[in-house]
Amino acid sequence: MTDRINEQISAFLDGELPSGEIGLLARRMERDGELRRAFGSYVLAGEVLRSPGGITARPDFAARVSAAIDSSASESSGQAPLASRSSRWSRPALATAVAASAALAAVLLVRPDMRGGEDITAGNADPGAATLAAFPPGGASPTPAQSQRLAGYLVAHSQFASPIGRRNVWTGVLAADPGIARVAYDAVEAR
Amino acid sequence: MANFPPVDGSIQPHEPRDEDARPASGIEQSDLELVRRAQRGERGAFDLLVLRYQHKVIKLVARLLRDPTEAEDVAQDAFVKAYRALGSFRGDSAFYTWLYRIAVNTARNVMASRQRRPLDYEADLNESEQSAVESRMRHTDTPEAAVLSEEIHQTVNHAVEQLPEDLRTAIILREVEGLSYEEIAEAMDCPVGTVRSRIFRAREAIDRSLKPLLD
Amino acid sequence: MLRAVALATVGILGLVSQPAAASEDDASEWLQRMSEALATRNYFGLFTHTTNGQSETMRIVHRVEDDQSLERLVSLDGSGREIVRTAKEVHVYLPDRRVVLVEPRTEASSLLKSLPTPSPQLDAHYDLQVRKGNKLLGREVRIVDVRPRDAYRYGYRLWLDEESAMPLRSVVTDPSGRAVEQIHFTRLEMPARIDPSATEPSVDATGFQWIRTGRQPANAALAAKAAEWRPMRMPPGFRLIASRVQTMPGVPVPVQHLIFSDGFASVSVFIEPGSSSGPAPPESTSVGSANAFTIRVQDHIVTAVGEVPPATVRDIATSVAPVTSLAPDEAAKSGEPASR
Repeated sequence: MTDRINEQISAFLDGELPSGEIGLLARRMERDGELRRAFGSYVLAGEVLRSPGGITARPDFAARVSAAIDSSASESSGQAPLASRSSRWSRPALATAVAASAALAAVLLVRPDMRGGEDITAGNADPGAATLAAFPPGGASPTPAQSQRLAGYLVAHSQFASPIGRRNVWTGVLAADPGIARVAYDAVEAR
Repeated sequence: MANFPPVDGSIQPHEPRDEDARPASGIEQSDLELVRRAQRGERGAFDLLVLRYQHKVIKLVARLLRDPTEAEDVAQDAFVKAYRALGSFRGDSAFYTWLYRIAVNTARNVMASRQRRPLDYEADLNESEQSAVESRMRHTDTPEAAVLSEEIHQTVNHAVEQLPEDLRTAIILREVEGLSYEEIAEAMDCPVGTVRSRIFRAREAIDRSLKPLLD
Repeated sequence: MLRAVALATVGILGLVSQPAAASEDDASEWLQRMSEALATRNYFGLFTHTTNGQSETMRIVHRVEDDQSLERLVSLDGSGREIVRTAKEVHVYLPDRRVVLVEPRTEASSLLKSLPTPSPQLDAHYDLQVRKGNKLLGREVRIVDVRPRDAYRYGYRLWLDEESAMPLRSVVTDPSGRAVEQIHFTRLEMPARIDPSATEPSVDATGFQWIRTGRQPANAALAAKAAEWRPMRMPPGFRLIASRVQTMPGVPVPVQHLIFSDGFASVSVFIEPGSSSGPAPPESTSVGSANAFTIRVQDHIVTAVGEVPPATVRDIATSVAPVTSLAPDEAAKSGEPASR
């Protein structure tokens, strides 16, 4: 019996319960805390599936809403009007291009702690087998203009890469710390 | 320095999307039924609406406030406002669309009253649930609550992993992909009744794992 | 229907210089199947991206609607960054920088045109092998090795799901055989249908700076000026496959964009005329397996970008020169590609 009702609750959650059965089920759920608890559990499972690590309501949230409705009923009965959007605030000025450049400069960050000779193989730092060196002569962090240009080039280029190449470029752009390696002009020659 | 204008800073308002946004949506219909019951005095009907939309509203408010710690309080306010305004809901939009606007306005009022940077344009409030940003916004205010929240997520994920393949597929197609029972039936090549049963059994299995945590 | 037309197109282009009966062991056919799967299937999954000793988890969703490929790639490691490819544009959301980069989609709306087509000379520059591999994600696997025949290119090892030809794992290797970049899927599903909301961004971009790059309608003077410049040296097998003029963020003049491909790797060459603000020394940067080299040539700033080793983009960029009149010091450099 419980299983049958709970299956109805599950279908109700998905909007797949025949409309004729909704009224009866709603009445049952309104009267039975255990049915409401099950409903809440099914809702929660879906939320976690869709958004792992995302915010979810605490278990007693619905009960607290109910209590708040009860206590607000005893306050003044006037409905608070929904506030309209305030017009006092002016639209924030759009950033200047320079500020935008600075923002983009941080997209591709040179990692200042790149050790000379660090191997590019994932997780395998082998100072002896250097194909990369640290900064080129006279090199420093790219200026904002340089990084901005490069970010734009990468995105523009990525559209012409093969699907694998495009994915690689995009993940590089998205990586939290893209770890741009500055390559010394001469060291690239390697063997 | 740039001699091309940036795209206009305002962003188009974006309506929330039901998981089932098709004509004559079953969820819209059942929400409407619950609203009618609540309008007639059945408080319990409104509780069911709260249960269905609590997480969505909290997520929405947390994003607007950029401060997850008060998201639940503000979301609670939004639901209370919605209840009090139920009389004015006429059903020409979906209930959640209406609730969504109330939640947005409630959050805006909070921002304005605290002289925070105002939301001057309609936020791009896409309701896609896969927001990586949210993973950093823990809203719990006690260590115990934080641990519980983490445990809940891990328990659900673990329970899902343990599910038999057909149950897991069914619930993922439903909850993550938003497919209807009929679409799932086609995808899994089984009758609709089987889909409904599989999804139910998946939820029951997850619930069995969750119950001890929440008692 | 789409698949049948795609296969027919492949046949017309005469890509596979093999006997008519395609054998399962044909590596280049596996590559073709892979490209097709990536472009035409609905799929979503999680993968780990590793480069330079760092790993990142990403979620990808790809769906096809009205013959259009729509995609969303999200970083799950806290930056909240994501890239969304809509019907018309590519949006790069950088919430930690409060910036959105917008780039119009370039490929023709038809999916077929956007499928990369291995050139008939793929075999000339790459050695392709395929063999059976161990199971991955519970699936039967073929391993395709794409080994370059010279040091101008990167190599690839691709683990393809036998049933769908989707790449479950891929490694990019440099000329010495070291892994430059790796992607491997920890979850991959290919449902019949994906909800449109799954390829919508989840970033709240309120108050962000939207920075748009765009295709510039080429006017005659600009086009003529830009067409004078070309790389004088390209690795063998690279052909010009597209040429356009576009605006780039922070660049006051339109930029010539040439795209070269050897059928597998592609390289873009950007030529910015007459810019006074730019990098002073030559500059080389890497983002995973994508390398870039920027240099000033006369009063132009030239950047070469591509999935090729750093030395290749350096050689290409440094060889860019005006076609019509070579300055005396450029004349010595033009001519044969450097042999390696």
